[in-house]
Amino acid sequence: MKSRKLLWLVTFAAISLFAAFYLFSNGEAETPQKPLARVSVVDSTKCIAPKEFMRANHMQVLHGWERSVVRDGDRVHIASNGSRFQKSLGTCLGCHNNRLFCFSCHSYANVKPKCWNCHLSPMETQ
Amino acid sequence: MKKVVMPLVMVAILALLPFLGVQYAGLSYLFGVIIPYTATVVLLAGFVFRMVDWLRRPVPFRIPTTCGQEKSLEWIRYDRLESPHRFWEAAARVLFEVFFFRSLFRNTKAELHKDSNLVYGSHKWLWLGGLAFHWSLLIIVLRHSRFFFPMVPGFTDFLEHADGFFDITLPTFYSTDAVVLAAITFLVFRRLNDAKMRLLSLQTDYFPLFLIAAIVVVGVLMRYVVRLNIMPVKDQMLRLVNFSFDAPGEIGALFYVHLFLVSVLAIYFPFSKLMHAGAIFLSPTRNLPNDSREKRHINPWNAAIKFRTYSEYEDDYREKMKKAKLPIEKQ
Repeated sequence: MKSRKLLWLVTFAAISLFAAFYLFSNGEAETPQKPLARVSVVDSTKCIAPKEFMRANHMQVLHGWERSVVRDGDRVHIASNGSRFQKSLGTCLGCHNNRLFCFSCHSYANVKPKCWNCHLSPMETQ
Repeated sequence: MKKVVMPLVMVAILALLPFLGVQYAGLSYLFGVIIPYTATVVLLAGFVFRMVDWLRRPVPFRIPTTCGQEKSLEWIRYDRLESPHRFWEAAARVLFEVFFFRSLFRNTKAELHKDSNLVYGSHKWLWLGGLAFHWSLLIIVLRHSRFFFPMVPGFTDFLEHADGFFDITLPTFYSTDAVVLAAITFLVFRRLNDAKMRLLSLQTDYFPLFLIAAIVVVGVLMRYVVRLNIMPVKDQMLRLVNFSFDAPGEIGALFYVHLFLVSVLAIYFPFSKLMHAGAIFLSPTRNLPNDSREKRHINPWNAAIKFRTYSEYEDDYREKMKKAKLPIEKQ
């Protein structure tokens, strides 16, 4: 019976430790970060593809960009009409500079890709 | 072999139906609105019907299966879970069964060894596989609540966060997706691996496994491979939750495959072994307290027994007994 009591105690201690750790780490995440330099806006005045296509497929396009830039160093996107764009989030967000451009849909669908773990969020730059 | 292939073919046909229907026949209203509503109605009505049917069955006697010390004298310690004595102890026993499959944990396996020795050993793989399967399925279903609420509730956020713990791939990889697929694979091969299990398994055992596997695979494809546009999906699910009959927007055909297979699962549920989800709460060997020695349980439809006491007998025959000079208690 002693061992069972000990087991309960250990379980309780472990759970409370985890809870404390969880709360603590959450609190830490909310500390404001240092303001960084602005993303240099790429000059592009037209969209790389029609609006409807981009609404439905921007995740494939951006995922493709991420792959080809990081793995192959290919930074130039050639659109279907032959015009060239720099593969960068700044290419899109330069014109679509409403700070809620990403978030209004993404929070509705509760889709949270971790773009802003590395990239600067429009919430912080605009 | 037929009983493995047939369910597989059936699931393949069921998956193909909505794909062809939506892609080539434009039946998105049928597969996106009519069938989901029908399936929900059948699931709810069927589930309630089966449960009410079972609840109405009389359980006159206490028949729990116990494997612990029964409650008797004050100074004898009894086992609250293995031989429950009060309602709450029996309820706790059922809940432990539901959440942790305690009876499967005691699963043993008998093997005939080469030297013709029969050997019994602990065999926990079914317990582990079943637990992994059911828990990840529960988490996956709860995670889907993000499609049914305009504002996503906190527990969904927490679940997604915990499930995407490894924080790899884009969109974030959910560990339950891998766990549930691994568990289904194990559960299928468990049935195929052993001659005894192959003999015991029926089409009704394979069909739900294949169906759930197909649902998971299509879901995984939508999320990680095709990267389906999710906005019209959320619109459509919100419409369904609000009992709206509006036509769905432009959604990829894969979504309709997923939704149709889920609808098939929902319709299949009340008529099949899947009802163990509700039935486990009603199993009398689990949910009854072991109090037969403390309380007398009388079968309610026993015919009433008419007792006749000796004094009544004497009242009837007193004069005759006096004449025969028999001893009488009351003069």
